[in-house]
Amino acid sequence: MSLTPANRIRLKILSGFLGSGKTTWLRHQLHEGALRGRVVIVNEAAAAAIDDALLADLARVIVIPGGCICCTRQAEFLAALRRHCDQARPPDIVLETSGLAEPARIVEAIRADPVLVHHMVIDDVLVTVDAVHARASLQSDPLVRRQLVSADRLLITKLDQLEEADVACLIATLRSINPGAQVTGTIRGEDARLPDHAGAEAFELPALAGQSEKPVVAADIAIDPAMGWEVFSLWLSALLHARGDEIFRIKGVVRTPAGRVLLQCVQKSVLPPEILPETQAGGGDFDNRVAFIGRGFDQSSLQRSITEFAADKT
Amino acid sequence: MCSACGFPATEGHWSEAGAADAHQRLRARFIRARKLNEVLRNYGLSAYDDGQTPGIQIADRTGQVILARDLGEVWIAAEKLVGKAIDPLDPRFMAR
Repeated sequence: MSLTPANRIRLKILSGFLGSGKTTWLRHQLHEGALRGRVVIVNEAAAAAIDDALLADLARVIVIPGGCICCTRQAEFLAALRRHCDQARPPDIVLETSGLAEPARIVEAIRADPVLVHHMVIDDVLVTVDAVHARASLQSDPLVRRQLVSADRLLITKLDQLEEADVACLIATLRSINPGAQVTGTIRGEDARLPDHAGAEAFELPALAGQSEKPVVAADIAIDPAMGWEVFSLWLSALLHARGDEIFRIKGVVRTPAGRVLLQCVQKSVLPPEILPETQAGGGDFDNRVAFIGRGFDQSSLQRSITEFAADKT
Repeated sequence: MCSACGFPATEGHWSEAGAADAHQRLRARFIRARKLNEVLRNYGLSAYDDGQTPGIQIADRTGQVILARDLGEVWIAAEKLVGKAIDPLDPRFMAR
């Protein structure tokens, strides 16, 4: 298995509910040259692809219309990625999902594909949040909440259309749903300053069918270097098996005999680990720290379990 | 493909990323087998890995044995033999 990041295709996933501003943000980024050289894959739930026309001037666009790539059009999506991998020097990719897609299912599909798992590395998952409609959709739609929990970064769009106090409450709500994601704001694709949300109260969110009422927590777990990767990965494999449905995200760097391993999980899917270079700027400061985001556990229960597991009992 | 047991070559479990060569892979297998036995004995199970045969054997006290290809399958096998998932946050996991 090739583990060096240098020879893999990088994939940035841009998701978010219908009409939440994914294409607007992407157009602006392409216009500014922020994603220069990347191929754009656009998936539309509708049969008529409109986003293609909006983006075609700015990048090479591959369109997968007529259904969502996390379910009905998944086979076509994976086939498109494989064709992309067959090129001599395939460029990196930005994937704009349909508004109905679940990013975690896309990550899982790539991870489960025997070809793509060796060729692709997922940069990050961005999810757009419509400042105007987020409150209503969060209260009624479990899909919106599932999209949010998979995100590394939440982009609040249309910031100029909501009062600052309401934006502060929205930020507090997003933090309660996904405490690990970075939250930023945009107006028509341009970065915009978020208001201070200290003291703001999250919206009351009703429990939706099939959704647990346990709070989502972010735990930052220290890995004792003496424990070693062998023992840590054994413990983590047990945790993922027993609690995988309640884990949304795991991310961290663990020192191993093979080097610094970047470990990432989206729900119970473990992405192919990457060996990071030793000499990255600021590298090392966060080694042997792993962030866990999910429900049904807390910082102390995880830390106690891992510490006791590491202790020699023979 | 292993000619002894018919296991096809797998694409590699994520946990193998921490070993750079055959020596480290073998060392990791022995460390994990020892640690697995510490945990599994709390559930009446044992693990066996001789470092050569592919996979880890998970056995219960009645003699039932399941051959697990990787760490993911280890916990599936253990759940099958015990009747429920082995949870690291359960006090029994850490019992001495």
